Amino acid sequence: MKNLTTTAFVSLSLACVVVDATAGVVAPNFGFILQSGGTAVSGSAGDFGSTTNTGPTEWFFHGSCSAMTGTTMSWAYLVDPDPFITGSLSIQNETGIAKSYIIDFVLSISPPMVATLISGQVSGSLTDGNGSGAALLTSTAGGAVYTALADGLFAQALMVNASQSVSTQFGTTSFSGGSFGQPVAIAGPAMNNTIGIRYAFTLSAGDSVSFSSIFVANVPAPGVVALGCIAGLFAHGGRRRRR
Amino acid sequence: MKVNIKNCAVILAGTMSLITSVATAGFTSSGCVYTVTSSAAGGSLSNITTDLSPTAWMNSGGWQTAGSTASVTWVNNIGGWNSVTAAGFMNANIVVRNNTTLTQDFVFTAAMNGTATGSFLISGSLGGEFVNGSGSLGQLTSTGPLWSALFDGVAVRTELNNALLFAPPLQVLSVGNFNFSNIPVSGSIGQQAAIRFSLRLTAGGEVSFTSAFSFQVVPAPAALAVFAVAGLFGSRRRR
Repeated sequence: MKNLTTTAFVSLSLACVVVDATAGVVAPNFGFILQSGGTAVSGSAGDFGSTTNTGPTEWFFHGSCSAMTGTTMSWAYLVDPDPFITGSLSIQNETGIAKSYIIDFVLSISPPMVATLISGQVSGSLTDGNGSGAALLTSTAGGAVYTALADGLFAQALMVNASQSVSTQFGTTSFSGGSFGQPVAIAGPAMNNTIGIRYAFTLSAGDSVSFSSIFVANVPAPGVVALGCIAGLFAHGGRRRRR
Repeated sequence: MKVNIKNCAVILAGTMSLITSVATAGFTSSGCVYTVTSSAAGGSLSNITTDLSPTAWMNSGGWQTAGSTASVTWVNNIGGWNSVTAAGFMNANIVVRNNTTLTQDFVFTAAMNGTATGSFLISGSLGGEFVNGSGSLGQLTSTGPLWSALFDGVAVRTELNNALLFAPPLQVLSVGNFNFSNIPVSGSIGQQAAIRFSLRLTAGGEVSFTSAFSFQVVPAPAALAVFAVAGLFGSRRRR
């Protein structure tokens, strides 16, 4: 039993090392979907800008997309498939009418997590970009401007039923959209494939908004999980021997 | 009705002045110029310009060092003379990121080329957020004014002159918002009007801004005199 346990421990530890090493070499999938007015533009963030490995498991994506007529979007995100997403998104409505947007940034994660501790935050600024004397940002249909996603499903939301406005020509307002899990992370859902941030809002004509946001899922490191499993096996074995 | 020759001369001079004011108010942008300098390293810059109208352009672009150790991303609109707002304007959404392991300085300038003369009323604003993507306390500071509006490289308005902000690890901090309206500025624009950001970011720091700057040519005093004299004539005629 002892030899078997030792062998399992070594194998699991090696597996953990391999996972970490692989994560540092291959960029994770980090994509976006921009939806507005019944049309959608999507793609890998790296295809619309650049992708850079900035740390053992961290990747930096920055780029811009103006493939949707009348809308220009740019981003700069640091991501880690371990996982977290942190960075900024700015979007400009070039049209003459208010537009509703749903924008998802989704990151593939590794490994899957049964239990998570999560935290997140969003802040932003809104500018009257065309000098009309007004700018308005509202959450669409009373929903949340920021939604943290786990496997595409709701994890947490911020800026629910929100409204921000500018009433001076070429004016700007900054807003803090709040946070969750700060300073102490809160329990989150299981995450098997992806985490993401969804922005859903309506932006007035000719104006621009930027969001800086964070979504972090804290999990025990894979090696610790393995040790925990093995410790559990030892304890279970010990109890059986005592019987 | 008697027409006073002296008044005629004033009217003529005033009308000429008004025409001159209006004619030179047409800030015809012949393009845009972006510059980025950073203590991180030299970088490569790219920009795509889209015509929105004969006098308005949308730009999106970026600058990055080799390996993206540092980057600047922008979306920027430039408006020449706008008959609705009667102003030339530009706005700029920018994101600056420091992926190096050291504190770095950045200076980003978005300029639109053109000329305009006369007295101006300027308006503008900026707001932003500081994201600390590192595991240690992050810091954003201004190096000189963080935000400047420039005529031919000379600041006509500055904001966030002594900015110093700290953000805990993996947190977002609002920089706040700063607005100004209808500030009179004399002089002329011989080459370009611009927005400049000048800042220092600790390792792993990122800052994003939305910003706008407009200038409106106000009629010269002689032109205002024309209106006054015309008003007097009208008043006499009604009597």
